[in-house]
Amino acid sequence: MKKFCGKIIVKMKPDVKDIKGEALKQAVKSVVELHDLQCAVGNWYQISFCAKNQVEALKFIDKIAQDILSNEVIETYEIKSLEEIDE
Amino acid sequence: MSKLKVGIIVFLGTNCEYDTKRACDFLGWNSEFVWQNDKIQKKYDLIILPGGFSYGDYISSGRIAKLSPAVKSLPIGKTMILGICNGFQTLCESKLLPGALIDNKNIDFISKVTEINFQNELISLPLAHHQGNYTCKNIDKSQILMTYQNNENGSDFAIAGIYDKKNKIIGMMPHPERAMYEELGLTDGRKVFKFIQNEI
Repeated sequence: MKKFCGKIIVKMKPDVKDIKGEALKQAVKSVVELHDLQCAVGNWYQISFCAKNQVEALKFIDKIAQDILSNEVIETYEIKSLEEIDE
Repeated sequence: MSKLKVGIIVFLGTNCEYDTKRACDFLGWNSEFVWQNDKIQKKYDLIILPGGFSYGDYISSGRIAKLSPAVKSLPIGKTMILGICNGFQTLCESKLLPGALIDNKNIDFISKVTEINFQNELISLPLAHHQGNYTCKNIDKSQILMTYQNNENGSDFAIAGIYDKKNKIIGMMPHPERAMYEELGLTDGRKVFKFIQNEI
């Protein structure tokens, strides 16, 4: 078995209003004037676990991201990285 | 009203189970708690997922509760299921009801009594939620059970509650169990429970 570490970002889908992103945008505007400012707020997750190989690890991390970390009705997820790490 | 048998699921972080049980007692229904880790094996007339903050709303409201043995063993289509507030969120997360509940439009926690359009009548029910903004692409409008008169949280079509008649599942954000008693000045919750009983 090998040890893997996956990093996942979950964001609101483009057609779902990102209310926290809007709030962040207002907050940033109050601090600094920036041209064409856009903000998005999401969640970042880091999950480490053991798996036989990279293929199996990717299957697991994908399932976790789909079933628990995100809701496909309103969110998308992206596996930013999946690396083998030292035990 | 006759004695219904009611199961009230309790999750870590649920905080409305006693108000819900008390409402059932008031209506003369037999209710008992069902722990999140127990599969539902008894036959109930109604199963309620009450309000609260199951699992601390970690990741998202109802996201972890949907994985519990109690939710996974819900007898869909056989028993009336009612999700109130966090219960509604859990049912949506479980895909047992369409759509999702996201942050209220002003990112505030709404805690107030508000007017709800329900069964061609305007009733008053309390709200207490942060993620009560209902969103659903392609909602079947025949499933809309109740709407906000003032839509404080920004829900699509001002939806406050939905009812999947085929699978006997109701989800609603307002708290009917908190509107049962003359002493509190709110009794319209009784109308919601009476409607549910008539549907069983």
